Amino acid sequence: MRMWRLVAVVAVWSMSCAAASAGGLRIVSMNVCSDQLVLSLADPDQILGLSRFSRDTWQSWAAEQAKSYPRLSGEAEDVLLLKPDVVVVSLFDKRATRDLLKAQGLHLVEFTVPRTLDEVKDQIRAMGDVVQHPDRAQAEIARLDAAIARARTVASAHHYRVLPLERRGFVSGDRSLISSLLAATGLTNAAGELGLDAGGFASLEAIVKLRPDFILVSEAGDRAEDEGRAFLLHPALERFYPAEKRIVLPERLTVCGGVMLADALDRLTEELQRVTR
Amino acid sequence: MSVQDFALAAEVAARRRWGATAALFALVVLLCVLSLGIGPVRVSPLAVIEALFGGGSDVAQVIVREIRLPRTILAFAIGGILGLSGAALQGLLRNPLASPSLFGAPQSAAFGAVLVIALGLADVRSYALPVVAIIAAFGSVFALLAIAGRNAGLLILILAGLAISSFAGAATALVMNLSGNPFVVLEIAFWLLGSLEDRSFQHVALALPFIIAGAAVLLSQASAFRTLTLGEEAAQSLGVDVARLRLLVITGVALGVGGAVAVTGTIGFIGLVAPHLMRPVIGHDPARLLVPSALSGSALLLAADIAVRIIPSTSDIKVGVLTSIIGVPFFLYLIMRERRALGGGVA
Repeated sequence: MRMWRLVAVVAVWSMSCAAASAGGLRIVSMNVCSDQLVLSLADPDQILGLSRFSRDTWQSWAAEQAKSYPRLSGEAEDVLLLKPDVVVVSLFDKRATRDLLKAQGLHLVEFTVPRTLDEVKDQIRAMGDVVQHPDRAQAEIARLDAAIARARTVASAHHYRVLPLERRGFVSGDRSLISSLLAATGLTNAAGELGLDAGGFASLEAIVKLRPDFILVSEAGDRAEDEGRAFLLHPALERFYPAEKRIVLPERLTVCGGVMLADALDRLTEELQRVTR
Repeated sequence: MSVQDFALAAEVAARRRWGATAALFALVVLLCVLSLGIGPVRVSPLAVIEALFGGGSDVAQVIVREIRLPRTILAFAIGGILGLSGAALQGLLRNPLASPSLFGAPQSAAFGAVLVIALGLADVRSYALPVVAIIAAFGSVFALLAIAGRNAGLLILILAGLAISSFAGAATALVMNLSGNPFVVLEIAFWLLGSLEDRSFQHVALALPFIIAGAAVLLSQASAFRTLTLGEEAAQSLGVDVARLRLLVITGVALGVGGAVAVTGTIGFIGLVAPHLMRPVIGHDPARLLVPSALSGSALLLAADIAVRIIPSTSDIKVGVLTSIIGVPFFLYLIMRERRALGGGVA
């Protein structure tokens, strides 16, 4: 991920020559994950617009904060009108839109999806450079490290086997942010024991047979709005994993790699204290 | 042929029917046992039996009683009601190509259920889902018979059925299109494929009452179907209220298919195939065809649901996909066989 930081730095350096005059580079973010990084690191007057999903409370930890900024359509047109100095996008955003913006001469900084806590820290640093506030990035990384240390003191003594379980029985594998969070705190992702190192769907039977210590889910409650969620509420699973055996980490805290992971880790610490009480 | 010979022939036929029905029943029982024994986790046959009756480890108990048993019950009941619905529709319309899925009933039921899911109106394990699915299925079959008219030929029925199932499909696509939440769209897409995986007794409780009610309605009309083979006027003169019969069949099919679709998604073509498999053995009497068709429907769905668990594949095959993959070529074969009748319809 060092490379991304380098790319970002070079890109910004070349731009800042052009826009050095007025107070800071003006930024558009086109991805819900980069939205949150921009919101936590940039000055408010630097932000020209945020992604289409920026106000989605399910996906974005900073949804409330995002309401005070314009929301973009996700297409190229409104970005072109805003004439930003930098456009922050994800490599998973629509390729055609990105190519069009590049062809129109805009400076794009492309972020990948981080898979580990180290990659997250690199991205925070890279975004700090993009918005020209590396000091803030440094402070956020320190906050993240402190949260990791707090979680470690609670979790590492027990070596619990935790199975991160999503709708339909999807299990995040080794190369996932959630696995990295668990590992950083001394917990074990039980996905490996199911033969799902790379992630994948686990059958209800296999989970019941494996009996990990806890399952990690993204919401509590017993409403099944669809069959995917009904999986997590199946009586067979509820029998072995009632609310006292479920670690709940809301999706908005874990879906992106960013400064909110510090909150995610604090939440994980609280939940561990709850379920092991 | 003397009267004695005739009686003898009738007795032979009756014995053959009972033999076939009994053999079919045994097959269904065997498939039920197999279905309880097969799953991603290997449980020995002895442990399965032990767990079924409340013995053995708690993990084996949960796997057999709470994961596999509801799945088996649903496959049995839903296969049965689909086979029965097919036989009843074929009896009502005196038409071997009639079946719920060709008439767009499951597709319409699916649209109803998808609407509930997409709008987030209710928990998927609440009665809202089957009720809306049943209403939609009723509407579609009713519309079909209304559009096609009383003595519609094969061609008109199939064309009208095609139009209605396409419309239901388009309406479903529209709901998915308008839904802003990508997860909901994915859920619906998966759900539409039709699956019995990881269902629970909550789902059994949801579907079974409607399936039983639908089956009761359809079975109660057995003798009317037989009279109807003499033609609508003759049946009318023999005291069959054809309009009432039609309404009852639509209601029965809608109750059964709607209830089934609400918990499994669309599972097609069982209703078409099952009666056809039975006709060579049982004969063409639509009344006698009902129960064997239901049993063969059960056997087909149980077998398909066992197959999706043992066919090696990178991700699990949905049972609704399998029944369609097998069912559509069968449908084509039937069309080929009925080619003359269809051709006559055009001329």
